[in-house]
Amino acid sequence: MDKVKYFFQQSWLLIVASFCFGLLIAVANAGWQGRILQNEEDKFNNLVVEMIPDANTSEVALENVEVESGKGKTRATSIRKALSADGQCVGWAFTCEGSGFADKIKLVLTVDAGFEKLKGYGVLSSNETPGFGDKIKDQFYRNQFVDAPTTELVLMKLGAPDVKDAEIVAISGATVSSEAVVTIVNTFLGQIKSHMQEKGQIGNGN
Amino acid sequence: MATDGEVTAGLYKDTLLAGLWRENPVFRLLLGMCPTLAVTAAVKPALTMGCCVIFVLVCSNIVVSLMRNLLRPHLRILMFTLTIATFVTIADLFLKAFQPEMSAALGPYVPLIIVNCIIICRAEACASKNALAISIIDAVGMGAGFTLTLCALAGVRELLATGKLFGASVMPDWFVPWAAMGMPVGAFVTLGLMLGLVNTITGKKD
Repeated sequence: MDKVKYFFQQSWLLIVASFCFGLLIAVANAGWQGRILQNEEDKFNNLVVEMIPDANTSEVALENVEVESGKGKTRATSIRKALSADGQCVGWAFTCEGSGFADKIKLVLTVDAGFEKLKGYGVLSSNETPGFGDKIKDQFYRNQFVDAPTTELVLMKLGAPDVKDAEIVAISGATVSSEAVVTIVNTFLGQIKSHMQEKGQIGNGN
Repeated sequence: MATDGEVTAGLYKDTLLAGLWRENPVFRLLLGMCPTLAVTAAVKPALTMGCCVIFVLVCSNIVVSLMRNLLRPHLRILMFTLTIATFVTIADLFLKAFQPEMSAALGPYVPLIIVNCIIICRAEACASKNALAISIIDAVGMGAGFTLTLCALAGVRELLATGKLFGASVMPDWFVPWAAMGMPVGAFVTLGLMLGLVNTITGKKD
């Protein structure tokens, strides 16, 4: 009993402060979460239009598609159909995420209407090392994914970055971040393609 | 003979000015070097970082000063860190909600304010030993000194690296941008030259 009393005598301020600070953060989060989500939505749409210039708007095609991201973890994502001004499907877009070098990397991945070629990826959020890992946002690396096939991508240390194939040349000095992007793309692309074929949203490639 | 009011006013003025020059956190105390080097490639992110630090510094000094008589010596650093982390999280959420571009530009450096030595230094050296008013003035002075230093460094670097200030062209047509100044090497060179200049002005050479 004396030990419990001693514990509270020593740490009551810490316990009270933790509760108050937690409450403060919860209130701030509740107040601004809507705006933060709206900003993310706007950023998502801007990236989709940047990668699919024909896209005028997008609509949710499939919601809460579960993707196994390894180590028994699953992540849910929504697949959006990019539509042109005349309502034609001009591509597909979805968010995907995985572990980077420093923190989680969250991407927007876009593919063409037939789900045969990538339209590219955009970075929604990442905390990769400035000057090194954050080069995953640079056009040099992003351009390699444009028109790449929607098959398994392979990361190469050397190669021709201009050739549109499944080989992606890593960023010098940022192999872990480069590999993280390729792993995220491979993890989500294959499973989402299978899911969409099952749902009849795209052909089965035969 | 000076009255109590004059003495107090003099103390406040002295405390406020200390952070701007005599005890400038960057030039005189060499604290907060990580953001000083990392976010000074342009003035806008440097100013945003400075404002975040002022907010966190003022709020944490207020809280630490108010609970200074309740602090247990062996738990004080834990309490400081908890307090600072709370206000950094709020600043981070605010930027994500209202300044998403700056939030993305600053990336991990806003959460890293938690480990910024200036803030924990002022909590330990000033707020935990002084009344509320002097703690707030100290925070404002130190925060303003840090912000002005960051802006001065960023101004030089942005001007030489891009020929712009706040994104607007200010240099004549014949000016050739010096790209290296926007890179990490530019941060070290500019900081070193400015430190040398400040030491020369104050006549304090090692």
